Amino acid sequence: MANNSGAAEKEAHLAHHFVDSEQQFEASKLGMWVFLVTEILFFGGLFVAYIVYRSWHPDLFEQAAMTLDTTLGAVNTGVLIVSSLTIVLAVRAAQINDQRQQLIMLGSTIALAITFMVVKYFEYASKFEAGMLPAGLYTYEGIEHELAPVFYSIYYMLTGLHGIHVIIGIGLISWLMVNAAKGTYHSGYFTPIEIVALYWHLVDIIWIFLFPLLYLIE
Amino acid sequence: MADSGSRTLRIREFPIEENPPKNYLNHERGLMSWLFTLDHKRIGLMYLASIVIAFFLGGMLAVGLRTELWTPAGTFIDADTYNHIFTLHGVIMVFLFIIPSIPAALGNIFLPIMLGAKDVAFPRLNLASFWVYSLGAVFALYSIAHGGVDTGWTFYTPYSTETGSAVISMTLGAFIMGFSSIMTGVNFIATIHKMRSPGMSWGRMPLFLWSLYATSIIQVLATPVLGITLLLLVMERALGIGIFDPALGGDPVLYQHFFWFYSHPAVYIMIVPAFGIISELITTFSRKVIFGYWAIALSSLAIAFIGFLVWGHHMFVSGQSELSSVVFSFLTFFVGIPTGIKVLNWVTTLYRGSISLKTPMLYAMIFLILFTIGGVTGIMLGALSVNVHLHDTYYVVAHFHYVMMGGTVFAFLGGLHYWWPKIFGKMYNEFWAKVSAVILFIAFNVTFLPQFVMGSQGMPRRYFNYIEEFQVMHQISTVGSWMLGVGFIIMAIYLVHSLYKGEKAPSNPWGGRTLEWMTASPPIHHNFEHTPVIIHGPYDHHKPIREFRLGIAGSDNGHGHHTNGDGAHTEEVESGDQTGSR
Amino acid sequence: MSLHHVLPLKTMIGTAVALFVLTILTVAVYYIDFPDPLNTIVALGIATVKAALVCMFFMGLYWDTKFNTLVLLSSLLFFLIMIGIILLDTLFRDAPFQIYG
Repeated sequence: MANNSGAAEKEAHLAHHFVDSEQQFEASKLGMWVFLVTEILFFGGLFVAYIVYRSWHPDLFEQAAMTLDTTLGAVNTGVLIVSSLTIVLAVRAAQINDQRQQLIMLGSTIALAITFMVVKYFEYASKFEAGMLPAGLYTYEGIEHELAPVFYSIYYMLTGLHGIHVIIGIGLISWLMVNAAKGTYHSGYFTPIEIVALYWHLVDIIWIFLFPLLYLIE
Repeated sequence: MADSGSRTLRIREFPIEENPPKNYLNHERGLMSWLFTLDHKRIGLMYLASIVIAFFLGGMLAVGLRTELWTPAGTFIDADTYNHIFTLHGVIMVFLFIIPSIPAALGNIFLPIMLGAKDVAFPRLNLASFWVYSLGAVFALYSIAHGGVDTGWTFYTPYSTETGSAVISMTLGAFIMGFSSIMTGVNFIATIHKMRSPGMSWGRMPLFLWSLYATSIIQVLATPVLGITLLLLVMERALGIGIFDPALGGDPVLYQHFFWFYSHPAVYIMIVPAFGIISELITTFSRKVIFGYWAIALSSLAIAFIGFLVWGHHMFVSGQSELSSVVFSFLTFFVGIPTGIKVLNWVTTLYRGSISLKTPMLYAMIFLILFTIGGVTGIMLGALSVNVHLHDTYYVVAHFHYVMMGGTVFAFLGGLHYWWPKIFGKMYNEFWAKVSAVILFIAFNVTFLPQFVMGSQGMPRRYFNYIEEFQVMHQISTVGSWMLGVGFIIMAIYLVHSLYKGEKAPSNPWGGRTLEWMTASPPIHHNFEHTPVIIHGPYDHHKPIREFRLGIAGSDNGHGHHTNGDGAHTEEVESGDQTGSR
Repeated sequence: MSLHHVLPLKTMIGTAVALFVLTILTVAVYYIDFPDPLNTIVALGIATVKAALVCMFFMGLYWDTKFNTLVLLSSLLFFLIMIGIILLDTLFRDAPFQIYG
């Protein structure tokens, strides 16, 4: 590290306390992975609530899952998978110095994320209409189980928190697009795209688990 | 090591410039240069100031509580106020003081220096962590102003969903402060992994850093669960989601599981950094290599891990299943093993050392006594049958004050006195420092020893009134709390005095061998003039000090402003495997 | 994946295709009636494989330093500790423990 630091030209993106770009990149990525651990455990708490209540009331979860729209859930799963592909291609575009492709891929990711939220909106709207609201506001009468409201609480907490992460992701990727348009990212420096992509993949992974756990119970 | 062919490192001994005119405290001036600084030392100092304020507030509340308990019935405040005060004392001391105390204040200042780095890996995240902490503190103050909280710091449901006090804003405050804690943890882990200077291998890392590393792991793994718990609690109160509230079909014991999954590891967030400080103090003031370096380093990690398996010992009488109570009680005893290993190693380090009983060492000795009492009583509480008797009595209160205050606070004070000359470049008055340490030690025991006795006789915690048989004990304890106040006032006076009138501190007043003593007091803005190179262990007191003052020679290193060093001692060292940055 | 490793295009597209196939598979399995616990196990098994694919190729753990994989696995370990020990309580609330006679 030390002896080639003299040769390493001090580039604009390199913060003063790092020796070279490699160190900066690796440190940022490790930091992001550690942050993803906190995200996993953050959602983990909700999954624990889910597992505990499902183990107590398996019949409730079977009945209530029937009210969720499997098709919309599957469509959203596909949407997020494609968005994961597009953002990883955005990283690749930066690695091969293709600015135009960067912008296209980041733009498609945002479009797909918005699609996800629109589908989510229609799902939520139909639930709200039927009175399937979180416990305190619950009025639906189609499920004969006294804890039915609690299922919807868990459903809204899980998907709602996930939705908030999608919205944060849209914000982050928009910020990447602004920078990418200025030509900030190139093969020597694409750390922000890389770590936002890591975040976005995690959002995808959480949905990969939410889909069977919420929509595919029988 | 990138793809460079050269494997040698030109190094040279650089004499330390004593008391340089430009240091991190004065190289920039003005309020903005502090509030928006990215310098880890300044951020650490802002944290230090914040936690001192929090400690003062929490301490005042504690003295108020003790004074109220002077008589069996009401003394000068009413019962509701009393409930608010003990809750605030707990919340302030836990979330605002003790969790950030050692890692975010002292750790922030010394972690990069001890690694030989210029800063933490993510300086902006570091600053954000301070601001998020401040935002959380604002929420806490807001809830004090708007009705306060009377649930106890644990916010147990169902009471916390029913009480009329400001639970939502207070839990949001704790939620936000949790993010600050996570940010510090992420930052420290990345820094320790990626920012070590050449030669700083894992085996040459000071034990304080090992303890901060273990602490950061706990922070990262446990704090998010607190986040989701408090979020669910807020939703429970705001919308009635029914996960924790039994009136809606929820399960309050599940809340306790969630809460203690964070809060039990959190007690190790509080105490493990203290272990690190004690390791530094004992070896420096014994002038001896620490006994069992790897045992101490790895026992920190072991504590971090086992700490996640034992949270249910807070819930023995909560109605959790008998099976889990038995399992938790069994697992709890395991925590004693790595902790015992540490105490053994510290005591063995003292053996045949040339001990100099300076103030920091005095605090280390106090720590050994008080923490051992706290730890052993903790083992008693971990026993299921004994716990059912002692649960929620003053015995528990005394136990965790011996660990948290006798352990963490006294270690923090030891660390503060140890590093005070380095942080501010001024020496404090050794005589008054010792006087205050002795007063605090006596006062602490006067306050909390009677609580063990009361607790074992059945005095419940958090009670406003008590039967007259306990009055003498309560009064002794109250007098002790006043004495503690006196001790801290003396400390405040001589420390503030030292800032204005203290002698200038040399760069290495205690003869330490770790890297923070190889730079000026106070350190310069970038910590070191030249990237330090490490060829010895952190506690090699048998080796000459000049071998510790090595830096990379040449104009292409350091910060470009020292083109030709004026040191005498140049040598070449094989780098390769000694390069710790990767 | 270091700074200099360019992501292979074919692998990325292949991963996405595999994820699609698995998604279709998991929905298909939903309509087949397995006996009770098997259903959940198959659904979670497929989800785990999908997540592993995302981690290895999209998130680059396959090429990356092994330590980052360790970091990820540690989060799973601690999640399992949390749920495992909590289930020791919630599943056995009413079961008397024989040690008390």
